[in-house]
Amino acid sequence: MTATTLDHLVPPEDPTRRIPGNKGIWVGITCEFVEFVVLFAVYFIARSHFPDAFHDGAQRLNIVAGTSITLLMVTSSYCIACSVNAIRLGQQRSAVIWLVAGLVIALGYPVSKVMEINWNLAHGINGESGIFFTVYYYLTFNHLVHATWGILGILWVLARLLFHGYSAEDYAGLEALASYWHATDIIWLVIFPFFYVLA
Amino acid sequence: MPVKDHFAQITAAWLGLVALTLASLGLSEWARDFAWLPLVVAAIMWIKGAIVARCFIEAQVAHPFIARVLQVFIAVAPIALIITAFFGNTVARWASV
Repeated sequence: MTATTLDHLVPPEDPTRRIPGNKGIWVGITCEFVEFVVLFAVYFIARSHFPDAFHDGAQRLNIVAGTSITLLMVTSSYCIACSVNAIRLGQQRSAVIWLVAGLVIALGYPVSKVMEINWNLAHGINGESGIFFTVYYYLTFNHLVHATWGILGILWVLARLLFHGYSAEDYAGLEALASYWHATDIIWLVIFPFFYVLA
Repeated sequence: MPVKDHFAQITAAWLGLVALTLASLGLSEWARDFAWLPLVVAAIMWIKGAIVARCFIEAQVAHPFIARVLQVFIAVAPIALIITAFFGNTVARWASV
Protein backbone atom coordinates (compact mmCIF):
# COMPACT_ATOMS: atom_id res chain seq x y z
CA MET A 1 0.00 0.00 0.00
CA THR A 2 1.52 3.31 -1.07
CA ALA A 3 1.14 6.73 0.48
CA THR A 4 -1.02 7.74 -2.50
CA THR A 5 -3.44 4.86 -1.78
CA LEU A 6 -3.59 5.90 1.89
CA ASP A 7 -4.50 9.44 0.86
CA HIS A 8 -7.54 8.06 -0.97
CA LEU A 9 -8.64 6.11 2.13
CA VAL A 10 -8.81 9.21 4.34
CA PRO A 11 -12.17 10.96 3.80
CA PRO A 12 -11.90 14.68 3.06
CA GLU A 13 -12.73 17.00 5.96
CA ASP A 14 -16.25 18.44 5.91
CA PRO A 15 -15.75 22.24 5.99
CA THR A 16 -19.19 22.76 7.52
CA ARG A 17 -18.34 20.66 10.64
CA ARG A 18 -16.02 22.03 13.34
CA ILE A 19 -14.52 21.16 16.71
CA PRO A 20 -16.15 23.24 19.49
CA GLY A 21 -13.23 24.60 21.53
CA ASN A 22 -10.23 22.40 20.83
CA LYS A 23 -9.28 18.74 20.36
CA GLY A 24 -7.76 18.45 23.85
CA ILE A 25 -10.97 19.29 25.69
CA TRP A 26 -12.87 16.69 23.64
CA VAL A 27 -10.35 14.01 24.60
CA GLY A 28 -11.08 14.97 28.22
CA ILE A 29 -14.86 15.08 27.72
CA THR A 30 -14.84 11.67 25.99
CA CYS A 31 -12.83 10.20 28.91
CA GLU A 32 -15.29 11.82 31.35
CA PHE A 33 -18.22 10.23 29.49
CA VAL A 34 -16.54 6.80 29.53
CA GLU A 35 -15.91 7.13 33.28
CA PHE A 36 -19.53 8.00 33.98
CA VAL A 37 -20.86 5.24 31.70
CA VAL A 38 -18.97 2.77 33.93
CA LEU A 39 -20.41 4.43 37.07
CA PHE A 40 -23.92 4.34 35.54
CA ALA A 41 -23.46 0.61 34.83
CA VAL A 42 -22.75 0.09 38.55
CA TYR A 43 -25.93 2.07 39.37
CA PHE A 44 -28.11 -0.03 37.05
CA ILE A 45 -26.64 -3.34 38.25
CA ALA A 46 -27.18 -2.29 41.90
CA ARG A 47 -30.73 -1.11 41.05
CA SER A 48 -31.62 -4.40 39.35
CA HIS A 49 -30.33 -6.37 42.36
CA PHE A 50 -31.95 -4.19 45.05
CA PRO A 51 -35.10 -2.57 43.56
CA ASP A 52 -36.72 -2.09 46.98
CA ALA A 53 -33.69 -0.28 48.42
CA PHE A 54 -33.74 2.12 45.45
CA HIS A 55 -37.50 2.63 45.74
CA ASP A 56 -37.31 3.49 49.43
CA GLY A 57 -34.02 5.41 49.27
CA ALA A 58 -35.19 7.99 46.72
CA GLN A 59 -38.06 8.95 49.01
CA ARG A 60 -35.66 9.80 51.84
CA LEU A 61 -33.52 12.26 49.84
CA ASN A 62 -34.08 16.02 49.80
CA ILE A 63 -35.71 16.67 46.42
CA VAL A 64 -35.44 20.46 46.88
CA ALA A 65 -31.64 20.10 46.99
CA GLY A 66 -31.60 17.91 43.87
CA THR A 67 -33.88 20.29 41.96
CA SER A 68 -31.85 23.34 43.09
CA ILE A 69 -28.62 21.78 41.81
CA THR A 70 -30.30 20.93 38.49
CA LEU A 71 -31.58 24.50 38.05
CA LEU A 72 -28.15 25.91 39.03
CA MET A 73 -26.40 23.64 36.51
CA VAL A 74 -28.71 24.41 33.56
CA THR A 75 -28.72 28.14 34.36
CA SER A 76 -24.93 28.42 34.65
CA SER A 77 -24.67 26.42 31.40
CA TYR A 78 -27.07 28.92 29.81
CA CYS A 79 -25.00 31.92 31.01
CA ILE A 80 -21.79 30.39 29.65
CA ALA A 81 -23.47 29.63 26.29
CA CYS A 82 -24.55 33.32 26.22
CA SER A 83 -20.95 34.34 26.97
CA VAL A 84 -19.72 32.36 23.92
CA ASN A 85 -22.52 33.89 21.83
CA ALA A 86 -21.50 37.40 22.98
CA ILE A 87 -17.78 36.99 22.23
CA ARG A 88 -18.64 35.70 18.73
CA LEU A 89 -20.56 38.92 18.17
CA GLY A 90 -17.55 40.89 19.39
CA GLN A 91 -19.32 42.02 22.59
CA GLN A 92 -16.44 41.59 25.03
CA ARG A 93 -18.09 43.33 27.99
CA SER A 94 -21.27 41.33 27.59
CA ALA A 95 -19.21 38.11 27.41
CA VAL A 96 -17.54 39.02 30.74
CA ILE A 97 -20.89 39.76 32.42
CA TRP A 98 -22.42 36.45 31.25
CA LEU A 99 -19.35 34.50 32.35
CA VAL A 100 -19.34 36.15 35.81
CA ALA A 101 -23.07 35.27 36.10
CA GLY A 102 -22.26 31.69 35.08
CA LEU A 103 -19.50 31.52 37.71
CA VAL A 104 -21.66 32.92 40.54
CA ILE A 105 -24.50 30.50 39.72
CA ALA A 106 -22.08 27.57 39.33
CA LEU A 107 -20.70 28.33 42.83
CA GLY A 108 -24.22 27.69 44.13
CA TYR A 109 -23.74 24.01 43.31
CA PRO A 110 -21.06 23.18 45.94
CA VAL A 111 -22.93 25.39 48.44
CA SER A 112 -26.18 23.46 47.81
CA LYS A 113 -24.28 20.19 48.04
CA VAL A 114 -22.83 21.07 51.45
CA MET A 115 -26.31 22.04 52.69
CA GLU A 116 -27.74 18.80 51.30
CA ILE A 117 -25.06 16.69 52.99
CA ASN A 118 -25.72 18.45 56.31
CA TRP A 119 -29.44 17.79 55.84
CA ASN A 120 -28.68 14.12 55.03
CA LEU A 121 -26.50 13.70 58.13
CA ALA A 122 -29.15 15.35 60.31
CA HIS A 123 -31.61 12.75 58.99
CA GLY A 124 -29.25 9.82 59.58
CA ILE A 125 -28.23 9.37 55.92
CA ASN A 126 -24.55 8.61 55.35
CA GLY A 127 -22.48 6.40 53.04
CA GLU A 128 -23.22 3.34 55.16
CA SER A 129 -27.01 3.73 55.18
CA GLY A 130 -27.49 1.08 52.49
CA ILE A 131 -26.67 0.28 48.87
CA PHE A 132 -28.79 3.14 47.48
CA PHE A 133 -26.95 5.76 49.54
CA THR A 134 -23.52 4.27 48.81
CA VAL A 135 -24.21 4.57 45.05
CA TYR A 136 -25.78 8.02 45.56
CA TYR A 137 -22.74 9.35 47.45
CA TYR A 138 -20.07 8.05 45.08
CA LEU A 139 -21.90 9.18 41.93
CA THR A 140 -22.82 12.65 43.21
CA PHE A 141 -19.40 13.25 44.84
CA ASN A 142 -17.71 12.20 41.63
CA HIS A 143 -19.84 14.68 39.72
CA LEU A 144 -19.03 17.40 42.25
CA VAL A 145 -15.31 16.78 41.68
CA HIS A 146 -15.80 17.22 37.91
CA ALA A 147 -17.88 20.36 38.50
CA THR A 148 -15.11 21.75 40.75
CA TRP A 149 -12.62 21.36 37.90
CA GLY A 150 -15.12 23.19 35.71
CA ILE A 151 -15.42 26.05 38.22
CA LEU A 152 -11.61 26.37 38.32
CA GLY A 153 -11.71 26.41 34.51
CA ILE A 154 -14.29 29.22 34.55
CA LEU A 155 -12.00 31.25 36.84
CA TRP A 156 -9.04 30.78 34.48
CA VAL A 157 -11.07 31.65 31.35
CA LEU A 158 -12.60 34.67 33.12
CA ALA A 159 -9.11 35.96 33.98
CA ARG A 160 -8.07 35.60 30.32
CA LEU A 161 -11.30 37.22 29.13
CA LEU A 162 -10.77 40.21 31.47
CA PHE A 163 -7.32 40.76 29.94
CA HIS A 164 -8.74 40.54 26.39
CA GLY A 165 -7.35 37.05 25.83
CA TYR A 166 -10.31 36.20 23.59
CA SER A 167 -11.85 37.98 20.63
CA ALA A 168 -14.52 37.39 17.98
CA GLU A 169 -11.79 35.79 15.85
CA ASP A 170 -10.19 33.62 18.55
CA TYR A 171 -12.36 32.31 21.38
CA ALA A 172 -11.37 28.61 21.36
CA GLY A 173 -10.43 28.63 25.07
CA LEU A 174 -13.79 30.06 26.14
CA GLU A 175 -15.64 27.61 23.90
CA ALA A 176 -13.56 24.68 25.23
CA LEU A 177 -14.54 25.62 28.81
CA ALA A 178 -18.17 25.98 27.72
CA SER A 179 -18.11 22.52 26.08
CA TYR A 180 -16.71 20.97 29.27
CA TRP A 181 -19.31 22.69 31.44
CA HIS A 182 -22.17 21.67 29.12
CA ALA A 183 -20.91 18.04 29.17
CA THR A 184 -20.82 18.14 32.98
CA ASP A 185 -24.36 19.57 32.86
CA ILE A 186 -25.55 16.65 30.65
CA ILE A 187 -24.09 14.19 33.19
CA TRP A 188 -25.99 15.87 36.04
CA LEU A 189 -29.21 15.79 33.98
CA VAL A 190 -28.79 11.99 33.96
CA ILE A 191 -27.89 11.72 37.67
CA PHE A 192 -30.80 13.89 38.88
CA PRO A 193 -33.64 11.49 37.94
CA PHE A 194 -31.59 8.48 39.10
CA PHE A 195 -31.79 9.60 42.74
CA TYR A 196 -34.48 12.25 43.09
CA VAL A 197 -37.22 11.39 40.58
CA LEU A 198 -37.32 7.60 40.24
CA ALA A 199 -38.62 5.79 43.25
CA MET B 1 -20.28 36.53 6.49
CA PRO B 2 -21.95 38.20 9.53
CA VAL B 3 -22.13 36.13 12.75
CA LYS B 4 -25.67 35.11 13.70
CA ASP B 5 -26.96 36.01 17.17
CA HIS B 6 -28.19 32.78 18.85
CA PHE B 7 -29.42 34.47 22.06
CA ALA B 8 -33.14 33.73 21.43
CA GLN B 9 -32.45 30.07 20.64
CA ILE B 10 -30.21 29.62 23.72
CA THR B 11 -32.83 31.29 25.94
CA ALA B 12 -35.63 29.09 24.55
CA ALA B 13 -33.46 26.01 25.24
CA TRP B 14 -32.85 27.13 28.84
CA LEU B 15 -36.58 27.72 29.42
CA GLY B 16 -37.27 24.26 28.01
CA LEU B 17 -34.72 22.71 30.39
CA VAL B 18 -36.24 24.51 33.38
CA ALA B 19 -39.76 23.42 32.36
CA LEU B 20 -38.67 19.78 31.98
CA THR B 21 -36.92 19.89 35.37
CA LEU B 22 -40.11 21.16 37.02
CA ALA B 23 -42.10 18.49 35.16
CA SER B 24 -39.73 15.86 36.61
CA LEU B 25 -40.38 17.33 40.05
CA GLY B 26 -44.13 16.91 39.50
CA LEU B 27 -43.64 13.34 38.31
CA SER B 28 -41.64 12.43 41.40
CA GLU B 29 -44.45 13.84 43.56
CA TRP B 30 -47.58 12.53 41.83
CA ALA B 31 -46.54 9.59 39.61
CA ARG B 32 -44.07 7.88 41.94
CA ASP B 33 -45.78 4.50 41.90
CA PHE B 34 -46.88 4.34 38.26
CA ALA B 35 -45.36 1.55 36.15
CA TRP B 36 -44.86 3.88 33.17
CA LEU B 37 -42.81 6.43 35.18
CA PRO B 38 -39.41 5.06 33.96
CA LEU B 39 -40.52 5.51 30.33
CA VAL B 40 -41.42 9.17 30.86
CA VAL B 41 -38.29 9.82 32.94
CA ALA B 42 -36.12 8.18 30.25
CA ALA B 43 -37.77 10.35 27.56
CA ILE B 44 -37.25 13.56 29.59
CA MET B 45 -33.63 12.57 30.29
CA TRP B 46 -32.98 12.06 26.58
CA ILE B 47 -34.74 15.29 25.52
CA LYS B 48 -32.78 17.37 28.08
CA GLY B 49 -29.46 15.89 26.95
CA ALA B 50 -30.39 16.48 23.30
CA ILE B 51 -31.31 20.13 24.03
CA VAL B 52 -27.95 20.82 25.73
CA ALA B 53 -26.05 19.03 22.93
CA ARG B 54 -27.91 20.81 20.15
CA CYS B 55 -28.47 24.33 21.47
CA PHE B 56 -25.49 24.82 23.84
CA ILE B 57 -22.73 22.63 22.32
CA GLU B 58 -24.07 22.95 18.72
CA ALA B 59 -23.54 19.24 18.05
CA GLN B 60 -25.23 19.51 14.66
CA VAL B 61 -22.28 21.53 13.29
CA ALA B 62 -19.60 19.75 15.35
CA HIS B 63 -17.13 17.22 13.97
CA PRO B 64 -18.97 13.91 13.24
CA PHE B 65 -16.97 12.07 15.95
CA ILE B 66 -18.05 14.61 18.59
CA ALA B 67 -21.65 14.50 17.39
CA ARG B 68 -21.60 10.69 17.61
CA VAL B 69 -20.02 10.65 21.11
CA LEU B 70 -22.76 12.99 22.32
CA GLN B 71 -25.55 10.99 20.65
CA VAL B 72 -24.31 7.73 22.19
CA PHE B 73 -23.78 9.17 25.69
CA ILE B 74 -27.19 10.85 25.74
CA ALA B 75 -28.89 7.60 24.65
CA VAL B 76 -27.04 5.19 27.01
CA ALA B 77 -28.73 6.06 30.33
CA PRO B 78 -32.35 6.25 29.04
CA ILE B 79 -31.97 2.88 27.26
CA ALA B 80 -30.37 1.29 30.34
CA LEU B 81 -33.12 2.77 32.51
CA ILE B 82 -35.90 1.22 30.39
CA ILE B 83 -34.12 -2.16 30.29
CA THR B 84 -33.60 -2.14 34.07
CA ALA B 85 -37.18 -1.03 34.75
CA PHE B 86 -38.84 -3.73 32.66
CA PHE B 87 -36.23 -6.52 32.65
CA GLY B 88 -34.62 -5.91 36.06
CA ASN B 89 -34.59 -9.59 37.06
CA THR B 90 -32.84 -10.62 33.83
CA VAL B 91 -30.23 -7.85 34.27
CA ALA B 92 -29.66 -8.97 37.89
CA ARG B 93 -29.24 -12.60 36.77
CA TRP B 94 -26.73 -11.66 34.02
CA ALA B 95 -24.83 -9.35 36.37
CA SER B 96 -24.50 -11.92 39.16
CA VAL B 97 -21.11 -13.45 39.90
